[in-house]
Amino acid sequence: MFYLSRQTVSRHRSLYAGSFIALAVGVFLLGLAATATAATIAYSGPVARSITVTTLGGRDLEPRQVRVPLSDADVSGLQTVLSLVGTISGFITIFVIASTFAFAVASRRREIGLLRLIGATPSQVRRMVLGEVLVVALAASLTGAVLAQLATPLLLSKASYTELAPVKLEPASPWVPLAIAVGIGLVVAMLGARSAARRAGRVGPVDALREAALEPPRIGPVRITFGVLFLAGFITLLALIRPSTGEGVTPLAMFTPMLLVIALTLLAPVVVPWVGRLWALPLIAWTRVSGRLAQSNVVAAPRRSASLAAPILAISAIAGSMVLSLSFAADSAEATIRDTLRAPIVVEGFADLGEVPGVTAVDAGIPLQLIRISSDDAELEDAEGIDPAVASRTRDLTAISGDISRLTGNTVAVSKEMAGFDSYQVGDEIPVTFTDRSATKLRVVAVVKDAQGVNPSILIPLDLVRRHAPTAQPERIFVDGVDLTTLNEHLSGTTAHAVPAAEWEAEQAEGVREGNRLGLILLLGPAALYSAIAIANTLLMGSLQRRHEFITSRLLGATPAQIRRMVLWESGLVGAVALSLGTAITLTVGILIRHAMNSGLTDVPMTVPWAVLTGIAGICLTLAVGSALAPTTYILRRSQPSAAVD
Amino acid sequence: MTSTAPTYPTVVPTQPPALLLDGITKTYRSKAGSVDALRGVTYHFAQGSFTAVMGPSGSGKSTLLQCAAGLDQPTTGTVVLGGTTLSGLNEVALTKLRRNEMGFVFQAYNLLPSLTVYDNVALPLRLTGRRPSRGDVHRVLDQVGLQDKAKRRPAELSGGQQQRVAIARALITRPSVFFADEPTGALDSGTSRQILSLLREATERAGQTVVMVTHDPVAAAYAERVLFLSDGLIAGHLDRGTPAQIAAAMSSLER
Repeated sequence: MFYLSRQTVSRHRSLYAGSFIALAVGVFLLGLAATATAATIAYSGPVARSITVTTLGGRDLEPRQVRVPLSDADVSGLQTVLSLVGTISGFITIFVIASTFAFAVASRRREIGLLRLIGATPSQVRRMVLGEVLVVALAASLTGAVLAQLATPLLLSKASYTELAPVKLEPASPWVPLAIAVGIGLVVAMLGARSAARRAGRVGPVDALREAALEPPRIGPVRITFGVLFLAGFITLLALIRPSTGEGVTPLAMFTPMLLVIALTLLAPVVVPWVGRLWALPLIAWTRVSGRLAQSNVVAAPRRSASLAAPILAISAIAGSMVLSLSFAADSAEATIRDTLRAPIVVEGFADLGEVPGVTAVDAGIPLQLIRISSDDAELEDAEGIDPAVASRTRDLTAISGDISRLTGNTVAVSKEMAGFDSYQVGDEIPVTFTDRSATKLRVVAVVKDAQGVNPSILIPLDLVRRHAPTAQPERIFVDGVDLTTLNEHLSGTTAHAVPAAEWEAEQAEGVREGNRLGLILLLGPAALYSAIAIANTLLMGSLQRRHEFITSRLLGATPAQIRRMVLWESGLVGAVALSLGTAITLTVGILIRHAMNSGLTDVPMTVPWAVLTGIAGICLTLAVGSALAPTTYILRRSQPSAAVD
Repeated sequence: MTSTAPTYPTVVPTQPPALLLDGITKTYRSKAGSVDALRGVTYHFAQGSFTAVMGPSGSGKSTLLQCAAGLDQPTTGTVVLGGTTLSGLNEVALTKLRRNEMGFVFQAYNLLPSLTVYDNVALPLRLTGRRPSRGDVHRVLDQVGLQDKAKRRPAELSGGQQQRVAIARALITRPSVFFADEPTGALDSGTSRQILSLLREATERAGQTVVMVTHDPVAAAYAERVLFLSDGLIAGHLDRGTPAQIAAAMSSLER
């Protein structure tokens, strides 16, 4: 059957061009993520810049050696981003491949029926379709891998010396990462094509004799079962979004919508016509014929509509959820910073404030990094050395348990989130290693509220910091009891300057948003590019298929403008259905995450990034309508009504 | 039966029939109600016979062909092809029976556009897992007069040539029964004659059985016997009729 597959692919080149491009771009992104990850793994900073410690071990856990790179040689940020990019690319690739192959099979129903008629068994047909996928996937994966290899030096030079990877990265040996990317590409293509192949196997020989290309709208029990399972998984993840979620919010904001997207896509042949009918109501009231025609086309071919809607749904839901969640996370961070900071003035930079008249509190905490060792890992953490007597006046250091005033000697106060994560309790001892390589154990004296942006997760006595990092200096000082002008007069001539607390708070919040923006661009940029290709691809294929239908309509007296209007409404309708589902997912995830993050906070500002969200919707809709209209116009211009008689 | 269609007593076959239909009914159900396409058809197609099935639109002739070929399941009744009862077979067994024992020729030429003429003809053998011998393929192409077109693709052939490729493809597995549905429906009369002669040759030379659905009296006249179908029942038959006799019988049925 492989022989036949090869022949069919070379014949139906245009049918498979879409799948080829989609997969090649997918493997390109995967390959790029893989080669860059390889470069980060291959990167070995100067040995002096890392500290090797032994984890504690525990039940069923052997203690192990962990080499912890110090901050200025840390590439783990880039690794995290790359793995997320890889995940999103893989996910969207499955999607696109599944829908393009579903299309390819649906449009060749008669041909497949003919094969069955002259003696192909269902499994032979399945193998033929899988063989076709393999031919396309091999060619596409190899192309993608070569492109990735060519683009790697460029990516690495761009990524070097950034916040994510503050080092110079050199390309590593490409063979293993590219082999992995090609392998993933092939597996993903096969996974995506499986249902199309199964459906091809179910085509009966009698289909060779039928003219009608409309598929039966039934969807199988397996598909329904999996749809419901993914729905259940989605609900489980939603239930996980609780006030204690903390930093888990970003992955949850990404994976939760993915599950619902899968569920809705599986159930799409049921869901899409239903929502389509709803959206079509105003359309039918407004237009005369074209709206009604568009509605029947969307409803009568649920499979086709579902394939067209899937990529729009996927990218709008995932991008929307992440944009909204991160914006809400920044809102919550802003409120936390505002609630935590009590001092009216913040000095940015370091200066000696001891002689300023009137000053009642100078909270000059010193930041440092230390390695925290847990049972299975060791990580570099941000910590701050504080004087608890002063700091509890300038900031909210309310202890949830324990007593912050006992923060002296070898002790530590941890945030509620870290305490929850590693189940630390007051009285526990946490082994740490300072950057001067001295190791010690710190006793937990208090668990305090989370206050990212003001307090790091680990607070230790100021003396301890001075002893282990004698040269470290404060980066900002919280001040009380003096007015701004007096303070700034005193600071003139130094690099430091004082600002009102509100201004500093706003700066911090803006910093969080800035960081989010960078993350979003890195994460969603490739996915968005990819989805755009996918959306255009499925709609182009869908419209080119309908040449005969358009020509027949022309013969029946429809003007080209009428047909274009019908296609316009139809693709608009499909886009609207997908976007409304995507909006529903975005809202659900966004509201829950907001609720989870804002527990215990009051007056949280609400920033909805309208411009970005409407931008996503607008681009999806424009792409959908544009890539349906363009081939229609092309077909209508190229063929006279008389062509229908041929 | 009307006077224009003389009937002959059915000859009791001396050898087992190539195809046996026993009490076939077929009811299509849909939301709008049910339609009886066949209402009890019993007939023996003798080995080596060439039978044309005729009838007005909606008389059930295409359904009959599809049930007989195992493409569709009859609602009740049994189909026995060369000693095998179709109703008990699963999809794979049915497919294997189809590729070994049946050949199909339809109005739409039903060739795979991506394959050359040679590959189209060889395809049924490839599907059985056998390696087609060049000799076999060229022999059947020779038989249909297309030996010089082996490397062409279907789109480069005329309608009649494409139909001959379809016949060659049906011939290559040496099936015992040919099913033809309007095989000349899209062809001019000269080309039609070639196609029908090829089908008749198959019955005369290799003892293959042909069941052909048609609405064209000229085409039906190539058959030894014309079976008339009306409202899902066999309404009569006519042996060795001329086109004029067949047309007259048809118009009396449609009245």
